[in-house]
Amino acid sequence: MKFFLKIFIFILPLSEAYAEGQKSAGLPQMDISTFPSQLFWLIITFTALYLFMWKFVIPRLSTTIEERKDKISNDINDAENLNSEASKILENYDDKMNSASLESNEIVSSSKATMNEYLDKLKKDNEIKINAMITESEKKIHQQKQQSEQEIKKATIDTIKSIVSKYVETVPSDDEISKKLN
Amino acid sequence: MAADNPIDPIHQFEISKIAEMQIAGIDISFTNSSLFMVFAIAATMTLFILGLSKRSIIPNRMQMLSELSYNFIANMLRDQVGDQGRAYFPFIFSLFMFIFFCNFIGLIPYTFTVTSHLVVTFAFAGLIFLAVTIIGFMKNGLGYLRIFYPSGIPIFLAPLIVPIEIISYLSKPISLSVRLCANMLAGHSILKIFAGFIVMLGFLGFAPLIFLVVLYALETLIAALQAYIFTILTCIYLNDALHPDH
Repeated sequence: MKFFLKIFIFILPLSEAYAEGQKSAGLPQMDISTFPSQLFWLIITFTALYLFMWKFVIPRLSTTIEERKDKISNDINDAENLNSEASKILENYDDKMNSASLESNEIVSSSKATMNEYLDKLKKDNEIKINAMITESEKKIHQQKQQSEQEIKKATIDTIKSIVSKYVETVPSDDEISKKLN
Repeated sequence: MAADNPIDPIHQFEISKIAEMQIAGIDISFTNSSLFMVFAIAATMTLFILGLSKRSIIPNRMQMLSELSYNFIANMLRDQVGDQGRAYFPFIFSLFMFIFFCNFIGLIPYTFTVTSHLVVTFAFAGLIFLAVTIIGFMKNGLGYLRIFYPSGIPIFLAPLIVPIEIISYLSKPISLSVRLCANMLAGHSILKIFAGFIVMLGFLGFAPLIFLVVLYALETLIAALQAYIFTILTCIYLNDALHPDH
């Protein structure tokens, strides 16, 4: 509080001094005698600045800025072109990959089919062969069986003949024996 | 007493002759005001000469600065006026740079603020007012008078609206010039007063010093802001002249 009071006590006479100073001096802004000089030099300096800006600064700055704009838009165009090229190449690559995988799938499936065909054919051939062999061997077995049956019959007749001949004078014929056997 | 008063806040606005000159009995002496006008255009020219000395696609700092100011004003003009404003771009750009540098140079202690004098700001405002009025009549003929009678106003309000519009139109150069001048005058006076307090209060001076630093930052903002406001209002007046129907 005391601090602010001190400041205030200092300020009070000072502000009175300003007021006094102002009264005696008057505003320099209102001194008409300086107006022609101010206006004259303002016209000279501002005209110089205007000409400098108009003829020197603005053409140069605007061309620089335009050049930069052009450069940036050119660079952006180039980048876009390169980008589209790259995406085209990627598309191409994808297409090729797709067609290659399709082709390989085809190859795989076709080779599978041929393999199956071959296997089927092999199976069939073998079946036919086996069947033929079975029928043949069945035939052989049948023949063998008949033959052996006849041989057994013959041997039986012979055996009976030889047994009978030992006991009886008259030996029966083969037909009679076979009739009796059946 | 006033001239010797070390803390007279008005002293900084006084005009002192550097070289006496006269044309046809009219005093056109080279004064401190003239000197700081020369400084302002020299600062602008230096900025652009440095900025344009080595033009490249990737700008260096000075080039960046000059291009930023160019784009700032060009965008302002395009937003406010449209493509028809291109012809007035050199004037608007010079106007902004001149006021901007006058305001900023004036913030340096012991300098003079050109724009704190009403005659300077009124010269600009009056020139803009005359130019805008002439452009308005040249582009629209007598149709330019429509700006005093906005469309959509019932006819019985015309006796009320038209005088108001005429007064507001005629007061444009006054408000435009007084706004800039008063801002500079008041801001710099307050800065000077508080700077005087620092000296007067001795070791207690740190209190106004802190305030002065804050105030100085504010004044820096105002220096840029007033240049911007002056320029954008010029653009708006120009737009009114080119498109009175809006």
